[in-house]
Amino acid sequence: MTDVSINHFTYEYPKSEVKVLNDVTITFKHNHFSLLTGPSGSGKSTLLYFIAGLYPHFIGNDALGSIKFGEVDVKQIPRNQISHSVAMMFQNPNQQFAMDTVIHELTFVLENMLVDPSKMDEIINHALAFCGIEKLRSRVINTLSGGEKQRVALACIVAMDPPVIVLDEPFASIDPDSRLDLIKKLKLLQQEHGKTIILADHDLNDYQGVIDEFYYLDPDSHQINLLAAPAAQHFFDQFKTTQTINKQVEIPAKGTPSVIDINDFKLQPHHSLLLALGKFKFYQGKTTLITGANGIGKSTLFNALTKLLPYEGTIEYSGKNIQKIRPLSYAKNVTLLFQDAENQFLNITVKEELDLSLKNRTNQAYTNDDVASMLKQLNIEGREDQVVYSLSEGQKKKLQIIEMLIMNPPVLLLDEPFKGLDYHSLEVVVGFLNRAKSQFHQTQIIISHQLSGLDPLIDYHAHFADQNLTYQEVIK
Amino acid sequence: MDNKTQASMNRHHQSKWTLRNIILIALIAIFTGIIFWGAGFLYTALTVALTPIGGAPFANDLLMGLWCMAGPLTGFVVRTFGSAFVGEFLGAAVEVFLGGQWGAGAFISGIVQGIGSELGFAFTGYKRYDWVSLNASIFTTVIVTFAWDMIKNGYNKFGIPLLLALFVTRYISTFIFGGVLTKMIVKLLDRSNAFSL
Amino acid sequence: MNPGLKLLLVMAIALEISFTQSLIVNVILIIASFGYILIHRISFKALLGLILWPFFPALGLFVSQWLYGTAGIHFAWILFTRIYAYVFLGATFTLTSSITDLALTLEQDFRLPSKFAYGVLAAFNLMPKINEEVKIIKTSALMRGEALHFWSPKLYFKAILSSIQWSQNLAEAMTSHGFVEDQKRTHYRVIRITGLDWSWFIGLFAIVQGLLFFIRY
Repeated sequence: MTDVSINHFTYEYPKSEVKVLNDVTITFKHNHFSLLTGPSGSGKSTLLYFIAGLYPHFIGNDALGSIKFGEVDVKQIPRNQISHSVAMMFQNPNQQFAMDTVIHELTFVLENMLVDPSKMDEIINHALAFCGIEKLRSRVINTLSGGEKQRVALACIVAMDPPVIVLDEPFASIDPDSRLDLIKKLKLLQQEHGKTIILADHDLNDYQGVIDEFYYLDPDSHQINLLAAPAAQHFFDQFKTTQTINKQVEIPAKGTPSVIDINDFKLQPHHSLLLALGKFKFYQGKTTLITGANGIGKSTLFNALTKLLPYEGTIEYSGKNIQKIRPLSYAKNVTLLFQDAENQFLNITVKEELDLSLKNRTNQAYTNDDVASMLKQLNIEGREDQVVYSLSEGQKKKLQIIEMLIMNPPVLLLDEPFKGLDYHSLEVVVGFLNRAKSQFHQTQIIISHQLSGLDPLIDYHAHFADQNLTYQEVIK
Repeated sequence: MDNKTQASMNRHHQSKWTLRNIILIALIAIFTGIIFWGAGFLYTALTVALTPIGGAPFANDLLMGLWCMAGPLTGFVVRTFGSAFVGEFLGAAVEVFLGGQWGAGAFISGIVQGIGSELGFAFTGYKRYDWVSLNASIFTTVIVTFAWDMIKNGYNKFGIPLLLALFVTRYISTFIFGGVLTKMIVKLLDRSNAFSL
Repeated sequence: MNPGLKLLLVMAIALEISFTQSLIVNVILIIASFGYILIHRISFKALLGLILWPFFPALGLFVSQWLYGTAGIHFAWILFTRIYAYVFLGATFTLTSSITDLALTLEQDFRLPSKFAYGVLAAFNLMPKINEEVKIIKTSALMRGEALHFWSPKLYFKAILSSIQWSQNLAEAMTSHGFVEDQKRTHYRVIRITGLDWSWFIGLFAIVQGLLFFIRY
């Protein structure tokens, strides 16, 4: 029996005294599939890293309380034995492998666990077969898609064969088929191989009917509660509503002035075709919402539009091939709001960040009062001297949005701009974007999974599916 | 003594050569290697421009500071014996694998530059990480690499005036890139509290 | 040949010809290395690069030595061929050995602590991502209205911030994949330095010594 019991567990970040977890006492039951949910940045990962025995080793300070596997305290397990008890799958598929190829990584894992080399082939074959990736055996990991990488990560865990498996938002950047498949595989590991599975996710798709227990980390009390079925159902329903809006939008009429024209376009990183477009336009002064499944290539399209990735065919901005526009000039005209806010930061403090935007902006559209008012409305005023990297994820996102609005580019691409924002902040940001569009004629192209609350903003809707992008009237 | 202070003291005595720091040093070396790689055309252009008047070695000395940046950076980020050497050597190795113009020569230059860079930190006993230790590192880097080029690139066959001009050029370059630029980078890292991570 | 020994041999010879002054030996080394590379069938493009890019620094050294050196044109030719000898010697290693094999042999035969072998290897395997990251840093700075160049502190600052984050992620992931610093590991692929490897190493090194001893021109 390996119940994972958390006892009076309290953790706060070093030197901040902000509680992340406050006196948490729960038990993840043996041979159960437990889902841990809660807003992003609320501390789910922190708990998982402690369960996996990675913290406190990889973080500055320890927590109070204890974590036990059955009767054994995690801390009593020697470091070279911990992998026999628990394995972890991470959110970022790109930084979880040491070796170049799939087979090398699997061997590396087994060598670490002191497995007899003569038994490795069999274990590896079984792990690959279980995950359905025999074909990936000799592939170079860098050339795999996000979904494939996470399958490899699962194969590593299957090869390690620990009783407890923890997963930290493992599906954040992978396609829905991979997601569903991996969830099924995890269920199989639980039911037929007796594993205890603890998975943190804020995206609640596909878990209904699969998970045994639903835990919620409350961001205000910093405590975790096991929810009864009706309460869990409430969360599932609520999640669904954030992913839907009932809105009819128009299909762009003929003759609508375009700002970006894409022709004979093909996007195929790593030689697998993501998108092929004969002719496609984004329209001047409109907000276009791009929907479509995870990992299908929406962000990759933005990377092509910002010249971060090579593509076939031509992209024109205002009638000019973007490859012929000088890099600085193009970047200030067609600007990307990166999904990861930190990518956008170039300075140290909040004030320096805002000053940089004020200095380099394309025009003087926003007055100093506007800026002050935006900061106030998003509740991040009075932090001028704070180091941006020490802001919470939500605060980083808000600052990033404000500084990119100040830059006031004619075309703003927004990649999941509402991630990590509460609903009120989302409404405020939608207001800002509407103003940028109506007063400053900004063209906006948005990738977002969060749909509720966007009604007042969206003019057109383009759906990404089957390697194609098409304008649709209905958003779903 | 309670358990907690015991643990933190143990941490203090632990070697800084942890898996994480090794990866960190290697990553910084690769990043700098790739950034210089982008500047490689500059070296070739300078060489081509200076060759007709026989001044090609100046291209080498003008950019020397750039090739020697990984050492001081990794030396400052991971403050322990050998980090500057390993960072500089790996930075040079990256150039070899990217297909640089130096081939096996870069491995050896990497070792030489690494020793030069490391010596400066060694002279200050790995105790100070400031303008003084940086200047010590610049000084030792220039001396060691110049001595090496006396042999490898035949500088010892040049007359004193040319030799002096090359030496001064190299010193200025190393001072600007290995010194001033490194100091600015370290200051940014300091202010962002990156060192406490 | 064992990649570790090969690297050692290449570096030893490169070091040696930095001190010696034999034009003919340099040329012999170039030809021998060139032949070795050809046998391994590398791409024409890579070969062209090997010949073309070193030409500029080699010519540069040649001309300056010829104009201002006190040792005459013969020494200028030595420097010219030395550059090519470095490049072709290096290529015999980089174009025909895998970094993974090098890490394995360094761990198993050269007693390099596994944390160095696999830590550095893991970082090298991220090279394509690092390339992309440099591009992202530069592009996102352009979007803030700043062009970053190789002399911009912020470019390195952002790169080091990414390095800090990535090194943490990678070390955690490797640890969760069972890797523990300074602990015993088993080896699926045992790489040994064979008698044949040693024979090649000693033989080739001896030949180079002989050449350098007898051929002084």
